[in-house]
Parts: sequence; C-alpha cells; structure tokens
Amino acid sequence: MVKKIIIYALITINIYSSNIFDQKCVPCHKELPTSLQQMFMQYLQLYSSEKNVKYILKYYLKHPSKELSAMSDLFIDVYGIKEPSKLSDEELKKAIDIYWDRYKVIGNLK
Amino acid sequence: MSASKNKVTNSILKSEKKSLYRFLTLYITMITFLMLVLGFYYFDTQKQIMLAQQRATLSKYAYEQTKKLKTLHHYFPESNTYPRDKRFKSAIYDTDYVEIFSLLKHKHINFDKDIYIEDSYIHFVKILDNYYLGAKYLIIEIQDDGKWLKAIYKKMTIYSLIAFILFLFLGIFLAKLFIKPMRDSILLLDRFIKDTTHELNTPLSTILANIEMMDRDVMSPKNIKKLDRINSAARSVSVLYKDLTYITLEQNKINKDEEINLKELTKQRVEYFDVLANAKKIEFKLDLDDSILYIDRVKITRVIDNLISNAIKYNKRGGYIKITTQKNLFSIEDSGIGIAKDQLPYMFDRYMRFNSSEGGFGIGLSIVKNITKEYGIEIQTTSTLGEGTRIDLKW
Repeated sequence: MVKKIIIYALITINIYSSNIFDQKCVPCHKELPTSLQQMFMQYLQLYSSEKNVKYILKYYLKHPSKELSAMSDLFIDVYGIKEPSKLSDEELKKAIDIYWDRYKVIGNLK
Repeated sequence: MSASKNKVTNSILKSEKKSLYRFLTLYITMITFLMLVLGFYYFDTQKQIMLAQQRATLSKYAYEQTKKLKTLHHYFPESNTYPRDKRFKSAIYDTDYVEIFSLLKHKHINFDKDIYIEDSYIHFVKILDNYYLGAKYLIIEIQDDGKWLKAIYKKMTIYSLIAFILFLFLGIFLAKLFIKPMRDSILLLDRFIKDTTHELNTPLSTILANIEMMDRDVMSPKNIKKLDRINSAARSVSVLYKDLTYITLEQNKINKDEEINLKELTKQRVEYFDVLANAKKIEFKLDLDDSILYIDRVKITRVIDNLISNAIKYNKRGGYIKITTQKNLFSIEDSGIGIAKDQLPYMFDRYMRFNSSEGGFGIGLSIVKNITKEYGIEIQTTSTLGEGTRIDLKW
C-alpha cells in the first residue's frame, strides 16, 4: 500500500514538474531573490487585467527591456535584463497561462 | 318672457361652458406637462445634491478600503481575506471590468458615473491609481434610507398642488377674459333675433287675422288674387317666424308629450299651406290613415310644417305633393327639383340650401332632424334629380 502511494506521488510530481512553466521558467527564477509570486503581483499592480498581464508578459519575454519590466531599477541594475526567450509563441502562451493560473487573485480571495 | 330669456341665456352659457371646458382641458394638460418637466428637474437636482453630500463620506470609505487593499496586495496569497467594513459593501474590478471580488448587494455597476443611486443602493466608483490585486475600479456601496426621497415627494406634492390651484384660477380668469367679447357678441345677436322675432309676431298675426276676416264675396277676382298672394306670403313668413321662435325660444322648453293622430294634424297643416300650394298650382294628394305618435304637439307641427313648406318651395309649378300617413309612418313625396345623390347626406344640415333662388335660412330641415333625433324617429330620403324627393319618417 505504502509502495503504491509513493509510486503515485512520484508520478504526480513528475507530471506536475513536466509542464513547460516548471521546466523553462522556474529553474532560472529560483536563483533570484524575488519570487515568481512577487513578480506576478508587480505585473498585476501595473497591468491589472488577465488580458493585459498575459499580453505584456509575452511581449516582454520575447523583447526584454528595462522600460517594459515591472521590476525596480535597483533589481534590474543588480540582476540585469533577461535574454530573449527562445520558446515558441505556443510554448510561451502555455507557460504564461500556467503562471497566471498558479498565482492569480481572481477566485483566490475569500 | 323672462323665463324664456333665461333659457336662451342658459343655452348660450352651455356653449360658453363647453368652450371654457375645452380651453381649460388644454390649459390644464399643458400646465400638468410643464409641472411634470419642472418636477423632474427639481427631483433630479435634489438627487444630485443628496449624492454630492454622500460623495464626501464615500470618498473617505474608498480611501480607507484602498489602504487595506494595498496591505492585502503585499501579503497575498499568505493573507487572502478580502477586507470588510460594517459601514459599507465593496467590490473590485480590473481594467476589463472583470469582477475580482465583490461583496455588493446590487451587482449592476455603471462604470461611467462616479456616483449614482440605483434600486435604493448608492454606488461610488473610485478609479485606483495603483492596481492593487489588479483592481482598477473600487466600488463602495451603501444602502439609501430613502428619507430624502420622502421629503422631496412631500415638498413636490404640496408645491404642485398649490401651483395647480393657482394656475387653475388663472386659467379660468384668462378663459373668461378671452371669451367675454365673443359672449357679448353672441348675447347681442341673440337679443336682436329675439326682439326681432317678438316684434314680428304682432303685425304678422294682425295680417293673417285680417286676411281671414276679409269678405271675399264682395271683392273682384283681381283683388282676390292679390289677397291670396298676400295670404301666401304672410304664411311663408309665419313658418319662418315659427322656426326662429322654435330655435331661439322653444327648443329648450320641457316637452309636453301627448298622443297625436298625424292624420288629423296633417289635414290641419295641409289646409294651412293650401294657399301657398295654390299660388304655385300644386295639388295635394292625401292618403291618410290613423297614425298615432306620442310627441310634443309644437315639435311635430314644426316637423310637418317644414316638410310641407319645403315640398312646396322646391316643387314645380303645377306639381303635386303626396302625403301618406300609416301606422308608424309619415311620408311626403313631391314632384320637385330633387337633390343630387352626393348631396343627400347634407340636406338636413343647418344653413344648407341647395337652391339659392329660393329664400330661407336653411334651418327648416335642421329642426326636423333635431326633433326626429330626439324622439328616435328614423328619416329615409330618396330623391331623383329633376323628378322629386320622398321623405319617410318611421318610428
């Protein structure tokens, strides 16, 4: 029984970690002092709606710039601007959708 | 005479009242419409004043709520309880008007207005500078107690009532002022007709009585002919006199209905009009059976006189007039000029004359129409131009 639970847990973790967001985004952000959650809230504070946030994230990931970044000048001066993403449009969309669903506010307030 | 005079004046007053009522109806409709428009603007102004008073309080609530949202934004998702306040309900919406979280009782939001009242709920829409939790719009909602509305309705009702009464009196005063010249003219005309009619009575009666009294046996045929002409003319004037008297004095009198045999009455009236008919060599053809009608004698006499008078007036020289009385029928047929089919519906209208060569005011058939209508007597008219006219009265 215990074996089954462990196998099931491993499979679940494997599936969970196999999505594009966890594979391509999370590893790099682990090294930064600001969490993905905090960054999400920064973007949300600037761009408000799901449509706007997703649009600006996609654009930023493809064309990173200091002006478009929601992060502070100090943060950018220390850690710089990321390299343009090599992911395809479809992959970027999937990754951003996962990012939104994981950290969104709508539906998570009580 | 004074009783009759009052009746005529009353009749004029009736038409004056009708005009007065019409004017007042139009006036009151306009005043009501004007007051409704003013009332609407007053109500709207008062509503804006009330909302302006509420705006300060709601702005304060919005400021406090924004601070709480800011705190929640920084601690989300560790803290995810939306800030609540007993004094108001609130909601947050993003730039695409998507609801992020709402505690509102009245869910419909008008984002174009900063403050408004809908279904007893006042909504204050605050646009945030920083989109905490992604919120661009913060809605603060309080329930309206409706006290201001009750006060406005009370004021509006009292003022409207006072204004309405004032305008009503003003309307009556204005209407009387405008109607006065018309009323004076009508009264003057009425008095003139009454006086003239009254003054005609004595000489006309004298002429007719003296003609009757004259000894025809001692007169030359030439003079008899002249006398018949005078008699004929006097009787024509007499019919006109009676019509005018009827219209000005008698039509408003209370009816004295009785059983009248038209057979007898027709005989009398034919005898009366015989002189007039003879002058045009018109022959009376009578087919008279008993015909009982329950009616005022003066009125049915006016009906028969006018029908016979018309039949003589518009008849050919040497023509005939056939009168038939049967149970529930009085029929008169002449061999006169007739009336065109398209003019038949108008022949009983007042002042309608189809032949200007003949005298008269065109009031005879109008009197017939009014009396028959009053007693529910049906009129059927058939006429052929150049051949004659037949009028049937059925009841």
